[in-house]
Amino acid sequence: MAVDESGQAFHHPIYSFLEKMPGLSLGLTTADQLLTWGSSNSLFIFPMATSCCGIEFMAASSGRFDLDQIGSIPRGTPRQSDVMVIAGTITVKMAPRVKKLWDQMPEPKWAIAMGSCAISGDFYRDIYSVVPGVDTFMPIDVYVPGCPPNPDQLFAGLRRLQEKIRAKRNGEWTDPELRPDTPGLRSPNLPRIGDPRREASLDEAQLDAVMNLDPGGGMLRSGDKS
Amino acid sequence: MAVAHSEEAHEAPAGPVPTVVRPWADPYLDPETYDPEGDLMVMNLGPQHPSTHGVFRVKLWLDGEVCVKAVPYPGYLHRGVEKLCEKLTYVQIPPIVDKNDYVSPYINELAVNMAFEQLNAVEVPRRSQYLRTLGAEMQRVGSHLLWLGTFAMDMGGALGGGASAFMHTFRERETILDCFELWTGARFHYNTLTVGGSRHDVPAGFAEMVRRTYETIRARTIEYDELIYDNAIFRSRTEGVGRVDAKLAMELGVSGPILRASGIDWDLRRDRPYAAYGELKINVPVRSAGDSLARYEVRMAEMRESIRLVLDLIDGIPEGPICALKPVKLPGAFKGKAGQAYVAVDGPRGELGTWVIADGTERAYRLKIRPPSYHAMALIPYLAPGSTLSDIIVTLGSLDPILGEVDR
Repeated sequence: MAVDESGQAFHHPIYSFLEKMPGLSLGLTTADQLLTWGSSNSLFIFPMATSCCGIEFMAASSGRFDLDQIGSIPRGTPRQSDVMVIAGTITVKMAPRVKKLWDQMPEPKWAIAMGSCAISGDFYRDIYSVVPGVDTFMPIDVYVPGCPPNPDQLFAGLRRLQEKIRAKRNGEWTDPELRPDTPGLRSPNLPRIGDPRREASLDEAQLDAVMNLDPGGGMLRSGDKS
Repeated sequence: MAVAHSEEAHEAPAGPVPTVVRPWADPYLDPETYDPEGDLMVMNLGPQHPSTHGVFRVKLWLDGEVCVKAVPYPGYLHRGVEKLCEKLTYVQIPPIVDKNDYVSPYINELAVNMAFEQLNAVEVPRRSQYLRTLGAEMQRVGSHLLWLGTFAMDMGGALGGGASAFMHTFRERETILDCFELWTGARFHYNTLTVGGSRHDVPAGFAEMVRRTYETIRARTIEYDELIYDNAIFRSRTEGVGRVDAKLAMELGVSGPILRASGIDWDLRRDRPYAAYGELKINVPVRSAGDSLARYEVRMAEMRESIRLVLDLIDGIPEGPICALKPVKLPGAFKGKAGQAYVAVDGPRGELGTWVIADGTERAYRLKIRPPSYHAMALIPYLAPGSTLSDIIVTLGSLDPILGEVDR
């Protein structure tokens, strides 16, 4: 007789796939289900917080909204985190650094673009120094719109990411994220990742920028813009 | 009720403030020229570092753990705001400048709208002046709360767990954001001020909510002092760390709490009154030590003073219209006069100035923003040399930079 604890007041999601052996302190499940449960419920976030959305991200991780309740904590290193939350405007000077940090994160990894600046550049998108959307140089899984999005909207984005992770591990189909449109863009419009018009030379150029971040070797000279 | 602990100034450390050696501040000078024997390690602090309060990079030359030279590199959040403001109309500019200093957007809006009003000689109604003063003081408390939380988090485990003070201050900051949400409909980036007054009048029940919120925070400031200021580790890590000479601060154009912590009694709210500050009595806290602990004391005293002002103001707002002009919604509906205007307000970080040059169309010809944090960051080449790496983090936290307005 399998113990059914799903009707109890405190329903833990682990009981949805774990069968308890009667009379023994032992549960049975498949490794796949356990890994799916673990990877979707302990998303460590690397906060790529640059501007206003970073403050809302801090609010989300503080007491009232409590990011901990869905198993996520901010982790200040790319080596031990699963999700990169890009919160804020990414400039041309910052973009190679963001991509370098993204490349340093171990697989499996996901990215959330939080706020309209990260999604499309918003009203800064025609400015010479702003990247019109981070998905021109790195893949994005979930877009959280807003300027800035409230912490509960960030939670909705994380929920959406958890759904996508579960569906992908179970081999189910998820609808692709709607790509944000950037009407009236006057600056050179880079094709986004996954766009058929995107050329391989662009990827190589971006990777080259990441690998040669500080060509001067450390010393600042007159006229050096670094 | 216990006495608030940081009301009394700590004694200035004995001896003179260390004199500044100029070569350290020159970014183009090779450290080998004045430290040929040093086996220096070059290290980048930032741009993505949790303690730099945003994307800010300081290149450090370290001799062991002691810094020899530091060169700050701003510009990782340069969004071209001033250029953007040249192509936007007067109505479109306030929501853009909100994003400069994203911790105190109300004061950004206030500065830019006051510049437009001075340019066009618009008289703001008395009720709106009081509402602006109320909003600015409410915002100052919220901004200082965020600084306190992140500053204590920079100290890390010294304060009983990395994020405990941060959790405490954000609990109170959320209640302030609730007040603003009730008032303007947004947690921040309000876009509530317009040329001639405000867009939103205070709603019903607002006074009661503000009174309850700020009385709670006033009681909690004592908790913060007990948690942070009375902590011996905090005292030993901040006392004498990052001492700013008054002369150096004046030379670099530093203003606000950093200047007041260095012994200069200067506050634009009292000395160049704007909005309704001329009718209020403001006590300006001044400390002479100039170190990180003095800056903590000044900000905590300012927070208490702002809470007192909010609680005084909330019952005494005069009746009347809130806007001198009819608030416009169409972007091109407001045309400014030709001329120039410079207006400075005292934000949580110092003198926030807006200089506008207009040519008589619906767009400004040039808009220059004078951010206080930019001048505070100029202190880093002077403060970092001679201190250890961990002290640089404390110094950076005590300067309270907001990189959105440094790079803008």
